[in-house]
Amino acid sequence: MAGAGVSIRGLWFTHAHAPAPALRDVSLEIAPGELVGIVGRNGSGKSTLCLALNGVVPHLLPGERIGSVVVGGIDPATTTVREMARVVAMVFDDPDAQVSQTTVADEVAFGLENLGVPWGEMDGRIRSALTAAGLGGLERRDPATLSGGEQQRLAIACAIAMRPSVLVMDEPTANLDPAGRAAVFEIAARLHRDDGMTVIIAEHDVEALAEHASRVIVLDAGAVVMDGPPAEVFGRIAGASDDGVAVPEVTSLAARLGERPGRPMPVTVDDAVAWLGDAG
Amino acid sequence: MNDAPGELGFVHGASWLHRLSPIPKLAWLTSVVVFAFVSFNAAILASIVIVGLVLATSAGILAHAVRALALLAPLAAAILLLQSIAPAVCGGACTPVASLGPLTIYEEGVARGLTFVLRILAMETAAILVLQTTHPSDLFAALARLRVPYLLNVMIALTLRLVPVLQREVRIVLAAQRSRGMRGTGLAAVVPALVPVFAGTVDRVGQLAISLESRGFGASGPRTSYRRIGFSTRDLVLAVTGVAAGIAAVVATIALGPTASPAFVVPAGAAVALVAAALVVFAGSLVRAAMAIGRA
Amino acid sequence: MSEAPSPIVEVRNVSFRYGRNGPPVLEHLDVEVPRGQVVALAGRNGSGKSTLARLLNGLLRPTTGSVVVGGLDTSRNPPRRMAAHAGYAFQNPNHQLFASTVAAELAFGPRNLGVAEAEIAERVADAAARLGLEGVLDRHPYHLERGARKLVAIAAVVTMRTPVLILDEPTTGQDRRTSAMVRALIDDLGAGGTTIVCISHDMRLVADAADRLLVLDGGRIVADGTPRAVFGDLSAIARAGLAPPQITRLALRLPKRAEPWPALTVDELAGAVRHGAADAS
Repeated sequence: MAGAGVSIRGLWFTHAHAPAPALRDVSLEIAPGELVGIVGRNGSGKSTLCLALNGVVPHLLPGERIGSVVVGGIDPATTTVREMARVVAMVFDDPDAQVSQTTVADEVAFGLENLGVPWGEMDGRIRSALTAAGLGGLERRDPATLSGGEQQRLAIACAIAMRPSVLVMDEPTANLDPAGRAAVFEIAARLHRDDGMTVIIAEHDVEALAEHASRVIVLDAGAVVMDGPPAEVFGRIAGASDDGVAVPEVTSLAARLGERPGRPMPVTVDDAVAWLGDAG
Repeated sequence: MNDAPGELGFVHGASWLHRLSPIPKLAWLTSVVVFAFVSFNAAILASIVIVGLVLATSAGILAHAVRALALLAPLAAAILLLQSIAPAVCGGACTPVASLGPLTIYEEGVARGLTFVLRILAMETAAILVLQTTHPSDLFAALARLRVPYLLNVMIALTLRLVPVLQREVRIVLAAQRSRGMRGTGLAAVVPALVPVFAGTVDRVGQLAISLESRGFGASGPRTSYRRIGFSTRDLVLAVTGVAAGIAAVVATIALGPTASPAFVVPAGAAVALVAAALVVFAGSLVRAAMAIGRA
Repeated sequence: MSEAPSPIVEVRNVSFRYGRNGPPVLEHLDVEVPRGQVVALAGRNGSGKSTLARLLNGLLRPTTGSVVVGGLDTSRNPPRRMAAHAGYAFQNPNHQLFASTVAAELAFGPRNLGVAEAEIAERVADAAARLGLEGVLDRHPYHLERGARKLVAIAAVVTMRTPVLILDEPTTGQDRRTSAMVRALIDDLGAGGTTIVCISHDMRLVADAADRLLVLDGGRIVADGTPRAVFGDLSAIARAGLAPPQITRLALRLPKRAEPWPALTVDELAGAVRHGAADAS
């Protein structure tokens, strides 16, 4: 399941009845296998951008769309959300609103059945997806009895069993405790690193993104205002005084102590230890 | 989060009834339901209930089945009560047997009411046997195999899923309003609670729809099925027998007409005791419901 | 703070289970909270935080032991009487909101408490200003996005001006700007004498706003102290499924510097590092 690329050109989108566009002239090229974080204040267009990648925008959430989106060679606007499921898998923020079946195994099987995966392949795929999500052995459990963190990992297992080229997660850890949050990011990082899957995560948890993402995109009022490696993007925000987007605390510290020309700004604790150690 | 499964839900087990394919079970269930719908024969209806309870015992789910049957006690009591004091069968020409205060109990009404209750019990016993010994996923797979449209299948499954979720939501919403000093109990408290529950449900269903479609629900091309429903020759024979028995019973009932439903007379003392018991059960369930709302 | 005359919240030997035969959710808890303290409750999902919070405003009653808030025993007073003493902002705003405008939602609680209309108007305006809701008072709560809806749910309890305020994950779904508003609200109310119990996974909020951090794990209190003291014991907090804020984790990796230690904020650590550098030179 090698990753696919995403190409967005001049994308504008205005939700039906909304006074202002949710996305303004967004252009992005995401290479196969990248792990991209999308950050921005509430209402900056993060969710709309995620949903445009599998066609929920504009098929299920209608509005006016200008520009083009191409994911794995297909523009979601020209096909249906269900067909896009062969290419893009989505994980949403509310774990409770994603489960529909009566056992964990049936939950994972649901997507495979929809895609017509042969019966003989299902058990293997279900087992490996559940193992990857750390839920091995829970096949017979009722998803409603899982914790929020487990339900969210189940949603990820459902996504990866479908072998998508692109995995999109819209604030996947918003409702989880710290341990649940860490588990979600570790799984995402493993899919990116070991399987070469393209992973796109909209998140408020910038410290976790800084740890795992290869690239961070900042949205503001629907437009891309920054795009680059975490150290560069968070370093620039920490230097400015923006009150909308959080940056890792260690990056704020480095900005407070004064940037060092030629040295990338620290974004993780390890970076910061090294950065401070070189202070001399 | 860990709400106990409803009384009607699947009971884990490995009995012969659990292992039996859902298809013959559904065949027999359909036959019993259709027959109970047309029959007024109290003796046969009562036998169905007894056979059902014997089967439940052999499947090791008797206690669960009885608890589920008890859920319908208030409804059964209400029917018996209503039929006994205001029978629909003989207009004004019924035979009074006794009076309880202002209420007059009619002989035909008691017999009629009992028959109705037996009909419900027969249908419910059969339904409980199937629901409690068949994993929901196998049940849906069987329905799919019987060519029940997949969309309908998913809708039933989702509705069943939403019931416990809604129960939980109502409890939390009532708690939230009470903790803001909301006065009033019973209906006065429940009505404003419906607003957030309804709004929350619309929200949730919308999200669920997006989530299901994002997972390819309704995609073109052939669907496959994860659950394999076994269907041996023995199952086929059982299913055909069930359907045949049902058809025969229904045809016989209709052909024989009223003679197939011999009138029976409940002795006056027994009639009064029955109606009094029904009154207690019905009033008791009302009080319990009111208390549950007050506590929530 | 410990020399306050009598605690406003007294939890004495409380155990709790749902139903008669449910597993124990809380076991033999003893907590006293002095008036005006800001207490954070943290722990993994299922550790008993929300249950403890619901015991404090009488939505749940202890299986054994007693909970006394503002002198009222919750086992003897119905939730709607406790409502005047302990307000509770639920985690999911959808559970709470039902009025047709934000203004009506904010007025609902104080009206139930019998507050005069003129004062209700003043309280609504004040709460709206604190959480940046002035512009949406006429809107329907369900037409707001989830983050803003959550702020409405918090404001709707703030207008009740209860001596004890319980907030359940107030910063979930908030961005940096609105999180800062929540934090300022807690600071102001706490300084004004309101006792605040805040359930949160947001360790930044805990470090900034709380006087005291209670960590629950498996229905027991496993740590109780200032956030600085609790975060200082990395292995204990990790066992409870938590991690200190990033800046504190960095501080704990560095050689110990000037008090206060470990640093909880960027300012503190920046000061300590500059100080340390000055010492070294």
